[in-house]
Order: sequence, then structure tokens, then C-alpha cells
Amino acid sequence: MPETLLEVQDLHTVFKTKAGMVKAVDGVSFEINPGETLGIVGESGSGKSVTALSVMRLQRPGKIVSGKVMFKGRDLTKVSEGEMREIRGQDIAMIFQDPMTSLNPVFRTGWQVAEPVRLHHGLDKATAMGVAVSMLGKVGIPSPATRARDYPHQFSGGMRQRAMIAMGLTTTPKVLIADEPTTALDVTIQAQILDLLRNVNRDFGTATILITHNLGVVAGMCERVMVMYAGRVVEAGPTVDVFAHPKHPYTWSLLRSIPRLDAERHEPLKPIEGLPPDLIDLPTGCAFHPRCRFTIERCSRDVPVLNRVGETQLAACWVTQSGTELKGA
Amino acid sequence: MIDPNAVDVALPRKEYEGEAARPAQSYWNESWERLRSNPVGMGAGVVVLLMVAIALAAPLLSTYVTHHNPYSIDLSATFSMPSKAHWLGSDEAGRDTLTRLIYGAQVTLTVAFLAVAVSLVVGGTVGLVAGFYGGLVDNVLMRFVDVLLSIPAIYLLILLTILQPKIGPIVLSTSDPRSLAVIIAVVGWGGLSRLVRGEVLSVKNRDFMLAARSIGASDLRLISRHLLPNVLAVMIVAASLNVGAVIITESILDFIGLGIQPPTASWGNMLTNAQTYFYHSIWLVLLPGALIFITVLAMNVFGNALRDAFDPRLK
Amino acid sequence: MLAKYILRRVLASIPTFFGVTLVSYFLIWVTAGDIVPGVEINPYIKKEDIDRIRHNLGLDQPFWIQYLNWLGLPNLAAQLHLISGDWPKGILEGEFGRSLIDGSPVITHILDRLPNTLELTITAILLGVLIAIPLGVAGALRRGSKIDHALTALSVAGVAVPSFWLALMLILLFSVQFEQWHLPWLPSGGAYSAYQGGDFLDRVLHLIMPAIVLSFGYLAIWSRFGRSSMLEVLSQDYVRTARAKGMSERRVVYLHALRNALIPLVTLVGLELPSLVSGGAVVEIVFGWPGIGRFALDRAFGHDYTAVMGIVTFAALLVIAGNLLADILYAFLDPRIRYT
Repeated sequence: MPETLLEVQDLHTVFKTKAGMVKAVDGVSFEINPGETLGIVGESGSGKSVTALSVMRLQRPGKIVSGKVMFKGRDLTKVSEGEMREIRGQDIAMIFQDPMTSLNPVFRTGWQVAEPVRLHHGLDKATAMGVAVSMLGKVGIPSPATRARDYPHQFSGGMRQRAMIAMGLTTTPKVLIADEPTTALDVTIQAQILDLLRNVNRDFGTATILITHNLGVVAGMCERVMVMYAGRVVEAGPTVDVFAHPKHPYTWSLLRSIPRLDAERHEPLKPIEGLPPDLIDLPTGCAFHPRCRFTIERCSRDVPVLNRVGETQLAACWVTQSGTELKGA
Repeated sequence: MIDPNAVDVALPRKEYEGEAARPAQSYWNESWERLRSNPVGMGAGVVVLLMVAIALAAPLLSTYVTHHNPYSIDLSATFSMPSKAHWLGSDEAGRDTLTRLIYGAQVTLTVAFLAVAVSLVVGGTVGLVAGFYGGLVDNVLMRFVDVLLSIPAIYLLILLTILQPKIGPIVLSTSDPRSLAVIIAVVGWGGLSRLVRGEVLSVKNRDFMLAARSIGASDLRLISRHLLPNVLAVMIVAASLNVGAVIITESILDFIGLGIQPPTASWGNMLTNAQTYFYHSIWLVLLPGALIFITVLAMNVFGNALRDAFDPRLK
Repeated sequence: MLAKYILRRVLASIPTFFGVTLVSYFLIWVTAGDIVPGVEINPYIKKEDIDRIRHNLGLDQPFWIQYLNWLGLPNLAAQLHLISGDWPKGILEGEFGRSLIDGSPVITHILDRLPNTLELTITAILLGVLIAIPLGVAGALRRGSKIDHALTALSVAGVAVPSFWLALMLILLFSVQFEQWHLPWLPSGGAYSAYQGGDFLDRVLHLIMPAIVLSFGYLAIWSRFGRSSMLEVLSQDYVRTARAKGMSERRVVYLHALRNALIPLVTLVGLELPSLVSGGAVVEIVFGWPGIGRFALDRAFGHDYTAVMGIVTFAALLVIAGNLLADILYAFLDPRIRYT
């Protein structure tokens, strides 16, 4: 059994706003092992990005109010800022959604890609640039030595994202967090980037956490998946199992709402009824219950706990935990 | 055919507690609400109104409050300190400072508001036309504005004030506040036209403009009913911020001696001989400048408050 | 490429140059086109003589010819051997007109005083930048704190202060009052003391107050702008990326963020480059600083229209040059612009 690389225990992150306290991350727990791929799936506002930022302690102006993030035997929520900085970019790397705005426009790309390895590993400029150029080549950028001298705006969207991935990998981190890496890209480029991430995971053995709202991306890339709703984890398990027989009404509704090519022509679409919840004023009990068709009395009273449902899956649902099957038209 | 009744429409359920719907408000109402809730801005607005009121009521104030005439010379009471006879003292000719300051307000504010109004009309029109029509019209107009903006304002103002140009039978003599206002406006409308043009360019391409055009709206209608209201907010803010700048410009011209001439009082020309006042009465140095400062400050703060009210995102 | 961008900007300035000269000459023509130098001084001059002088000076030619002569195009063409004949020098050769008072070339007066004006305005701009940047950054980093509010209030107030009044108050305090209180006092006028010989210290003492007054206006605007520019940059994604790479906060702020925040600020400062010559006019006048601004005013009062016009034209041309410089500086700082 490989030792767990990163373990998040009951994390709570809040944001103070004029309208009230937003519970962006409301009791999230998960773990990832070396070399694994984990997908975090949820709609906008579900807390998936904030969870990742909290792991990196980049959640400002939010505050981590409770919980633990265990990495290499240390609780990252408690270490000093200096120690955290050593971990960022070196042991845990994060890449972001829009590579155009995520790369500094006034510095050359190669310089930016070389920066983490130059600073964390103390290499001199030439050696660091060599590492950067080689990594740019490995992520599939042609003529990397020339292109390293280009500025970010001179790259196409897909190339920029590859450069960002290269930037994250130069220090050979143990964990790579990718926050919506394909959302800002064309569909055809998306496939290439996902391919790249798969190869990186295979060749470098980097554990990858992929955050997305796109179920298709998760299906193609992640061994395990975690579904988030209103700042809480509602379901987790091997991707194959979760997709084949979802154990939480939210996941079930999501999967059901995807239009299928083999559907009847007149079949109406099946959206999820209702609106996403107000994170300042969450519903009592299960956050999903106002929109759920399987809801029972307990759902509006008690907040469901993430428990084993079925052989390999975890789900936070009173209904499925009591044995009911999710069925319906 | 899809039976509309069979489709499960995603309506919010009754039991879902959402926010209570607020009645929709017009942009102007919303902006006014935001302005009202800004105490500093409202305070500044009150100060401005106060100044305007004082300026308008100058003759009344001079007759019933201060009992002095801004022109009456009294050589026995030159450079007097604040006293019962002269509440804020008197100047080198024994004229009452307070009364002159009040009349000065009238002059300065007249020039300021008039100049801004004229440059708003001229600059606004040029900017609207250039931005809306684009192409050659835009090029020509903006080149002209470029040229105008290349000539340093202070020099152009000096030149125009000594030239006292004639437009037909009207002579623009700078001892008349209205002429001075026109001169300042003529020199200064360029910046506003650029600003309006920029705003027009960004509004012009929005979808609602295309929609209006596609139902057959004429150019004039597009400009006046659709474009103008959206650009108006920017124009109002720019205008209010310009008032302060014009007050300072006018004061400078008066101070140098090229603007309003004594014995007509203006805050600027009351400081022309300030260097000689140092040894007689510092009040004469402090007061006019302080009034300029307060008025401009109030105008700027109010202008900023207006901007925040119209577009809180810009904060 | 940077070179191509520069070339394009230079070419674009040429029409503006012609536009400015045209407008300038039109103003001259409207006001002083008919005036023969010396007429005011000599009341006995006969009409035939006036006409003769007029003809010699080419004042009876149509507008376009006079404009081209004033510009100096025919002379330039003759220098390049494109045409023949003896043509009068013009703007293109640096001939900015002659004073109506004594017929001396305006350009000589301008060049005499240009260093003084530049000394003042460049010092003021440098002072402004050097103080505004730290203030702006400090305000941005300590957003919402008392210091931030104080700085904001100061800059809002600073914009409202009339520069000539500030100048008067400073003179009142540091020259008049200090002398009365037997404290070392600052000179109240001029660029240097004649009797002291104008050594470096003397010049600096004279420069302090005017430079401070002039920089004050810049400071107020730039520090506020620097703050908002910095705030905007700090909320950008690439700053988050830099932090995610484990960079120290110092490096993130002063290397990654500041570099970007400075760009709009430099553009703003660059906008002052064109007014290097004219921006200090008011301060020059109050402090009796022997610069171009004061010269223009003196001549204005003396009804020396051609001199004033010469100065206006010169200043306007410098504005165009200044704009060009500012654009180039901007392209140097922001790599994205070079490729547009």
C-alpha cells in the first residue's frame, strides 16, 4: 500500500463578504497517493478551486478556519509562510485556467519557466534555462530554444498552456494541481493538453489533481473522481464506478443531464431543477435537498456524512446510504 | 412537435429560499442611490452648492450682510486686520476683503461653469461624431484635436488673451468673464472630445446598438436615443472634474494679469500683488487661495463621488 | 520589431507636425501678418516706405506662399539643390521668427533660456517619480489602512491646490518668515544670485522651492495612479502564479508586479514629456525663474506677437517630439506594443 502523499482532513475555508460569511470549503476530506490521478468535479461555486488554493495556502482573502492538510508528515495549514514557499512550486505545483493571464506579459517565457528551478534548486541562469528549454521540448513545443526567448503573447493558446505545464514540472514536484487547464482552450487543443497531462503523469509519476466542471475531461483522464457541491464532497470513488452507477442524486442528475447522441429526437433535455445554493445561506441539512427528487425527511434535517455506499464508492446521501437505488426517467 | 406542457421547465421551486426580488430600478435611479449613500461625496456637493449660492447672492450679501461694495476705496483703512468693520480685513485700497471674495466667487464660478458647458458641447459633439462615424471623419477630426492638444494650453491662452480675437461684432475681451470662459473652452475642449470618442467607440460595438440599427433606426436616433445616454455618465463625470481644473486655470490667468482685470474682483487677481502683501497682511495671501483650494477640492471630491456612483466597478 | 515601430511612429508624427505649423502660422498671419517691425517705434515712417518694407519682407504674398516661406520649405529645397534662388530661412532651419521689438531672432532667446526651463521641469519630474512610486506602492500594499487613507486624502487635496498659491505660501514661509525668525532662509526668486556667482550650491538653493512646487502637482496624481495601477496588477492571475511558484512576497511585489504596474505610470509620466518646456510656466512666473515661460509672458505684455508665436510654435513642436519619445519609451517597457 503506497503511503498517502497528500491528505486533506475536514478542511473549512471561508470568505468574509459584505453580505455575510461565504463557506467556500465546508468540510472537505480526500487523499491522493503517489502517481495517482484524481479529478475534482463541480459546478462554478462548488468550492473546487478554493479547495486547491487552500492546499497551496493561496486562498487569500479567504481564511482556512479548521482542518488539516497533511503532506510529508506536516500539516500545511500550520507551517510557516517560509516553509510553505519552499513547498510551493517545488513539491506541489499548480497551474491555472487561463494561460494568457497567468503568465507575466513582460518577461520572456523561458525565463518564467526557469524561475522555479532557478530559485528552488539554486541553479545558475544558464543551467536553469537549459532545464527549462528541455522541459519545453518535452511538453511538445517545437524549437524550444528559440521559443523560450519569446514573450507569452507570441504563443498560441495551446502552446501557452503547454508552457505553463512545463513551468510546473521543472522542479519535478510530487503533486501537480491543474485548475481547469483546458477550459480556456479550443476543443481540439483540449484533447492534446489532456494527452500531455496523461503522459506527464505516466512518465514522471507526478500525482495529478485535475479540477474541472467537465465530466468528459474527468472520464478521459482520472482514475478517481470526487464530486463537490456547495463546498462539500458529495461523492467520491473510482471514475468508472461513479460514472456507471452514481451513488449521489447530484452526480446522478449531472450524468443524466448530458445529452446523448443516441437519444430519441423528441426526448426533452433533463436539466437539474432549481438553482445553485447561496453559499452564505445554505439550506438546512443536505445542501442539495431542495433540488433533489429522492429527498426524504431526514435530508432537510441532518447534514449527510460521507460514507461507503457500494463496494468502492463514498457518498454523502441519507437516501443511498439507507440502501435505496437511484432510478428514474 | 414538442408539447410545451410535457417539458420539465427548471423553475425555482416554491420551497427554495432565494433572495426577495428587489424592484428593478433605472440606471439613473440606482446611481443616485449610490451617490446618496456616499456621505463624503454628498458633503462635497453641499459645499459646491453653497459656493454657488453665495456667488449668485453676491449683490444681496453685499447689501445686507457685509454692508460693503467690492469697489469702494477707503485709503484710511488699507490692510486692516479682521475687525467689526471689515470681517476679513481689507486690501491695499481699503476695499473689504470679504465682499471682494464673494464677488470673486461669482466671477470665478461663472467662468468655470460656462467654460465647461461650452467645451462639453463642442468636445462632446466632436467626440460623438468622430466616434460614431469613424473612418475619414474620425481621422480628420482627431488629427485636428491632436494638433490642438499639441499646442501647450498656457501659451495658447496667453496668446489668445492678448490678441482679444474678434468673432464678427463680438470682441472676446478677457475682462468679461463670459469671453474668458469661451477662450478657455476653445483651448480646452480637445481632451473631452478624445474621452467621449473613446467611450463612443466602446459603446458603439455593443449588441444593443446593432439591434437598434437592425430595426431601422436612423443615425440621428441611434446617436441621440441610444448612444448619448450611455456616454452621458462619462461626460458628466469628466465635466465635473474639469470644473476644478478650469477654476485653477482661470485663477492663474487672473493672477498673471491676463484675465479678469482689477478692479473687478476675482480670487486669482486678488493674489496678483501677493508678494507685496507679505509684509502687510498675510490674510490677503491666504484667503483667496484657500477659497480656490476649497472650491476645487469640493468639486473634485464630488466628481469622484459621481464617478463611483455611476460605475462602482471602477473603484 | 522595435525599430519598425519607431519608424512608424515617426512617420505618423509628420502630418501632426504640418498641422501644428499650419495652425501656428495661421494664428501669426491673423494677428501679426501685416505688422512691419519697427513701425511702432518710428512714427515718422512714410507710407511708401511701409509698402516697400512690406514687399521686401514678402508680406503682400498670399497665405500659402507666406506659410511655405515661414516653414522654410523653399530654402530646404534650395539647400538640397532641388530649386534655385535665394530663399528665406524658415522653421525647418530653426528660424522661428524675429521679435517685433528689436528684430532679434526669437530662437536665440529660446535657446538661451531653454536650459533653465529644462533644469526646473526635469528636476520636478524626477522628484515626482521618485516620491510617487514608493507612496503608491505603500498605499497599495497597505490597502485600507490609515496610511493608505491618509495618502489618498493627501493626493486628492494636492490636486486641488493652485500651484501659484502654494508657491506664494512657500515663499512666505521659507523666505520671508524664516528671515524674520533668523532661520536660514531660501531665496525667493531667480535661478541664481548674481552677486554670489551662481555656484552649484547657490543654484540648488534657488531650485528647491520651484522644483518642489512643480513636482507637487505631479506627485498628487502619480502617487494615486501608481497605487491603483499596483492594486490592479496585484489582483492579476500572473501574480497568483508567481506566488504558486513559491516566490518570496518581496520578489512577487517588486519584480513581477511592479514591473507591470510601472507601465501605465510611465505612460502617464511620459505624457508630461511633451510639456517639459511649457509645464513650468506658472512656477517660472511666480519665482521669477529665467525660463521660456516667463519670457513668453514678458513678451506677451510687450505685445511682441511674433516672439510669443515663435515660442508657441517651438513648444508645440517639442510636444510632438515629446509624444514620440514617450511612445518609444512605452514600447521599450511593454513588449506587447512592439508587435502591434
